[in-house]
Amino acid sequence: MSPSLLARCSKSLSRNAVPCIRRLASISSSPSPNPTSVGPFQVFDREAKRIQKDRAASRDNGERSRTVDYVRESVADSMMERLLDIKRKFNTILDLGSGPGHLSKMLDSSTTTKVIMLDSSEKSLHRDPDDEFEVEVERISADEENLLGTIPRNSQEAIVSCLSLHWVNDLPGVLVQVKEALQPDGVFMGALFGGDTLFELRTSLQLAELEREGGISPHISPMTDTRDMSNLLGRAGFTLLTVDIDEVKVNYPSMWELMEDLRDMGESNAIIGRRNYIHRDTLAAASAIYKELHGNEDGSIPATFQIIHVIGWKPAPTQPKALERGTGKTNLKEIL
Amino acid sequence: MPATSAATATTPLRRLAVASTVNCSTEASAYGKCILQTYTDMKKDACKEEFAKFGACLRQTMKRKW
Repeated sequence: MSPSLLARCSKSLSRNAVPCIRRLASISSSPSPNPTSVGPFQVFDREAKRIQKDRAASRDNGERSRTVDYVRESVADSMMERLLDIKRKFNTILDLGSGPGHLSKMLDSSTTTKVIMLDSSEKSLHRDPDDEFEVEVERISADEENLLGTIPRNSQEAIVSCLSLHWVNDLPGVLVQVKEALQPDGVFMGALFGGDTLFELRTSLQLAELEREGGISPHISPMTDTRDMSNLLGRAGFTLLTVDIDEVKVNYPSMWELMEDLRDMGESNAIIGRRNYIHRDTLAAASAIYKELHGNEDGSIPATFQIIHVIGWKPAPTQPKALERGTGKTNLKEIL
Repeated sequence: MPATSAATATTPLRRLAVASTVNCSTEASAYGKCILQTYTDMKKDACKEEFAKFGACLRQTMKRKW
C-alpha cells in the first residue's frame, strides 16, 4: 500500500467514506506503533493475532484446529504433573490465554471446583462445548495484556498459562499483573515457548531469503530465554521460583505440513512490520534447505518446540522462606 | 497432505509443496547440498545455478511461469 493511500485510509473514520483498498490478502489491522511513545516496545500485532486465532479455531468448524492440538496437549500434560505436586484444593483456577482450554480440560474435581478461561480470541474460547470439561467453566473474552482490567486485585488462588505468553508484548508487565491478581500465597504456573523454538524453520527461511533475495525479514518471533524468565519473575515480585526447560520434537513429512499446522494452531507470524508474503521461489528454496540441513534420515523433518516451565508464588507472611546466608549448621563436607 | 502428484493437489500452495518435495526432489536435494556447503558464508545467488535447475523443474511441473 502506498504511503498516501495509507494516510487517506486512516483518516477516513466516517462510515460512508471510501473503503480502503486492500491489495494483499493479509491482516493489517493495528495502526503502526508510534516510535516516540513511552511504554513497552511493541513487537507483536495483537489484533492480527486475535484474528488469526479466531480464523484458526473456526476453520472447518474447528476440526482443523483440533487435529493440531498435539503440541499444546503434550505441554498441558506436563503442566498437570507439576500442578498435581501442589497439595492443595483450589476453589477457582484462572487459565490465562487458555485457547479452547487444553489445560482446563485436564483439571478434575480433586484439584479445583471451577476454572475461568480467559483469552482474547472469542472463537477459540468457545471452540469446544462445556461437557468436555470435568469442572465448572467460565469463559471471559478479554485482552491478556490488560489482565487487571477484568480480574480484580488479590482475587485469584491460582493462575495458570499454557503456551500463550509468547504473543504478549509486555511480558514483565503481564507478570506484575498476574502477581497483583493473585491472593497472598497464590501460585502462578506457566509454560511458554523458549528461544530455541522452531530454530530449524527460522534458519531455513533466513538462508533461503539470503540466498534468493539478498536479505532477511522476520518470520519467527523472538522468544524468551530461560535466564530471562527467572529474572522477570523475580522482578515481578514472585518468590520460591522454579524454572526448567523441556523440549518437544515433532517430525513432519516436509516444511509445508509444518507451516500448515502452525497456521491451524493460530501461530502464524504476527510480528509488527512483517512481510505479508514470501515469494514462492524463496519458499521452495527454504523447503529444500530445511530438508538438507536438518532433515532426518528417513526423509522427514524435525521441528523443535522448546518449553520453559515456570512456577512462582506471591509472597505471604505465612510462607516458608529460605534461611539467611551463613546460618547453616551442618558442614556439607561431613555429608559428602 | 497426501503424497499425490502436483496435478491432483487442490490449492496452488499445495501444488507447489508437492512439486518441490515429490516431483523435483532431485533438484531440491542438489540445491540443498549446495547451501549446506556454503551456509557459513552465505551470499545472494551463492547457489544460483542449482536453483535455476530447481526453479525450472518447478515451473515445468506447475505449468506456470512466475
